[in-house]
Amino acid sequence: MRLEDLVYATIMLPLFGAAIALMGKLVHRNRAFAKTLEYIGAGIGLVLPWVGLTMLAPVVFSGGIVSGIVGNWYEGVGIAFRFDGLAWLIQILGYTIGLVAYIYSLGGGPRGPAFTTIFLIQTAALAATIITTDLFNLFVCLEVMGITSYVLIPTSKKPGASLAAFSYLMVSASAMVFFLIGTYGLYRLTGALSYEGIAEGLRTIGGRERLVSNMALTLLVSAVAIRVAVMPLYGWLPDAHALAPHAVSAVLSGVLIKTPLFALSRILGLFSNGPDVGHLMSIAGGITALVAVVIALSQQDAKRLLAYHSISQIGYVVAAWGMALQLGIDTALGISLMAAAYLHALFHAIFKGLLFLSVGTTIDITGERNVYALRNAVKIMRKAGERIPVTFITFLIGALAISALPPLNGFVSKNAITYAMKDSMLYHLLIAAGAGTVASFIKLSRIYLPGVPKLPMQRTPEGRRFKRVRLPSRWIAQITLALLCIAGGLWTPRLVSLVGRLIQPSFQGTLIIPALYSGENLLKTLWTALAGVLIYLVIQHPIPANLLHAIRTRPRNFKGLFVSFSLGTAGLAIWLLI
Amino acid sequence: MIERALLFTLFLIGFYGIVGKKHIIKKIFGLNILNNAAVILFILEGSRIGTDAPIMDGQASAIVDPVPQALMLTAIVIGVCITALSLALAVHLYRVSGSFDIDTIRMRIQDEA
Repeated sequence: MRLEDLVYATIMLPLFGAAIALMGKLVHRNRAFAKTLEYIGAGIGLVLPWVGLTMLAPVVFSGGIVSGIVGNWYEGVGIAFRFDGLAWLIQILGYTIGLVAYIYSLGGGPRGPAFTTIFLIQTAALAATIITTDLFNLFVCLEVMGITSYVLIPTSKKPGASLAAFSYLMVSASAMVFFLIGTYGLYRLTGALSYEGIAEGLRTIGGRERLVSNMALTLLVSAVAIRVAVMPLYGWLPDAHALAPHAVSAVLSGVLIKTPLFALSRILGLFSNGPDVGHLMSIAGGITALVAVVIALSQQDAKRLLAYHSISQIGYVVAAWGMALQLGIDTALGISLMAAAYLHALFHAIFKGLLFLSVGTTIDITGERNVYALRNAVKIMRKAGERIPVTFITFLIGALAISALPPLNGFVSKNAITYAMKDSMLYHLLIAAGAGTVASFIKLSRIYLPGVPKLPMQRTPEGRRFKRVRLPSRWIAQITLALLCIAGGLWTPRLVSLVGRLIQPSFQGTLIIPALYSGENLLKTLWTALAGVLIYLVIQHPIPANLLHAIRTRPRNFKGLFVSFSLGTAGLAIWLLI
Repeated sequence: MIERALLFTLFLIGFYGIVGKKHIIKKIFGLNILNNAAVILFILEGSRIGTDAPIMDGQASAIVDPVPQALMLTAIVIGVCITALSLALAVHLYRVSGSFDIDTIRMRIQDEA
């Protein structure tokens, strides 16, 4: 079997699985047969690609790259692709979360062949986004990814979810028109769509053409930044992620906002002023990390709180990613930062997926989303049939991981980022954001603990406090992710250098490995946690509580999404021109 | 030059439709106009790369670059998908809120939640 075929398989298998699952709709009268088709499709789409990825592992680990043109077309006409260490890593991320989220959806919904089909198409688009090295093909992949998420978000049947999907669709589809214009600009300049051709063409331009290439770059970057939801382009995310079904929330937060970011790093590598863009994005990332955590602290909807944390954590990733590009992905510090950014993206996907699923199970059982109204959830869930408090334990593991406490995976990746950033301004922003994270997860944990709620709790129409749900598949998903959280924490010192080698195989020097269990670092972790507790105690006071209330109820509207998009684009253009 | 000015106007009309109009169906119209402005840009400007019609009968040196046009077929298809999906969402929003006005929809949905 040729290596190219294995690479195609990682994209084609989910698509093939989607086709089989869709056939389940044809035979919907025979329910058992339809279900069988659906599960076969999901198995082909989500499990079989692992075989391909395992077989490709030795190639990428030995520094090999599989590249070529899809369908053996001529160069300049066909779609170029490149499967390297980065692509392998991102696909591992996508398929891990995709598989676990799908298992969860079997118990937690949404169910049915249509959902499975769309879910698999989305997975295929994710896998393709990171492999493609053709600008127009990237546009198509991003659009397919977007369209599937506009469909998946409203499957929760909440009216707010439709509005969130509509807002996301409008802002993201408009941004993609900008992307298209940027693509045209580069095609006109260089006569190529493949990254290699564009890079070659850009080397020879000068003068006024340089201006055009900068404008094109601005349009491309701001369109992708919308998907990544970095400040100030984050407005669509909280509603969309909070109101989507739990399994979809896990994928959206875990995978969908990160894949475009790493695909963008391939584009930025083509431009001589890519490092400048990286610099601006890293500043935006640091600010995002801090501001989003403050907004998260003010939330009262449990899932919206988690959604703002996704923005905050992607801020960490973008800060490290941008700085890595600024320094260049051939310096020791640059590679270490890029490896840390990837690890945090992966680990965030795992622990945030875990949090979304655990909190989702809790919300489904208790029927209450409000952090101030829900108390004693462990007891309520025991009444609903959860004898061992699995959901509470998995939630706790996720909460400790996102708060960066040892020995869980969040501790490792956050420290890998901050350790490599020590001398930078961003370091302080990220540490402050870390303390805020601890505070808001103390706030969220209280839903499980006994106490007197500030607001009355909702009851089901029958006057009960809980609803029975199907637990086994939810448990499998939650426990798998919890185990991955622990495993990631235990193995990581080796993982940092491993990921670094995959990202830049030709680098010979030594990477910067964070000293995780040094006295200094543990002390820093302790201080951050204590600061978090302190912040939590302070926000109980009426004055800061009122301030947070004002932040939560700040006016948000549709127009704001476009104003911030225009401002972000203009800001990037000015940054590049000066 | 006049074509470019018209194209830019079309682009601005589309953008104004999305941002300025409150009616969500008009917003979708705006998105379509915006999308079409980009399509026409590719077709119009792309047709100026080369002079002859792209029919392969020996002389292939001065033909119009076919790539931008081919790309636009895909872009149009994606545009149709997005339009269909956004209209479906608009109908659903109308059913749950009884209005096409974006602010009214947001208000009524928030009241429910």
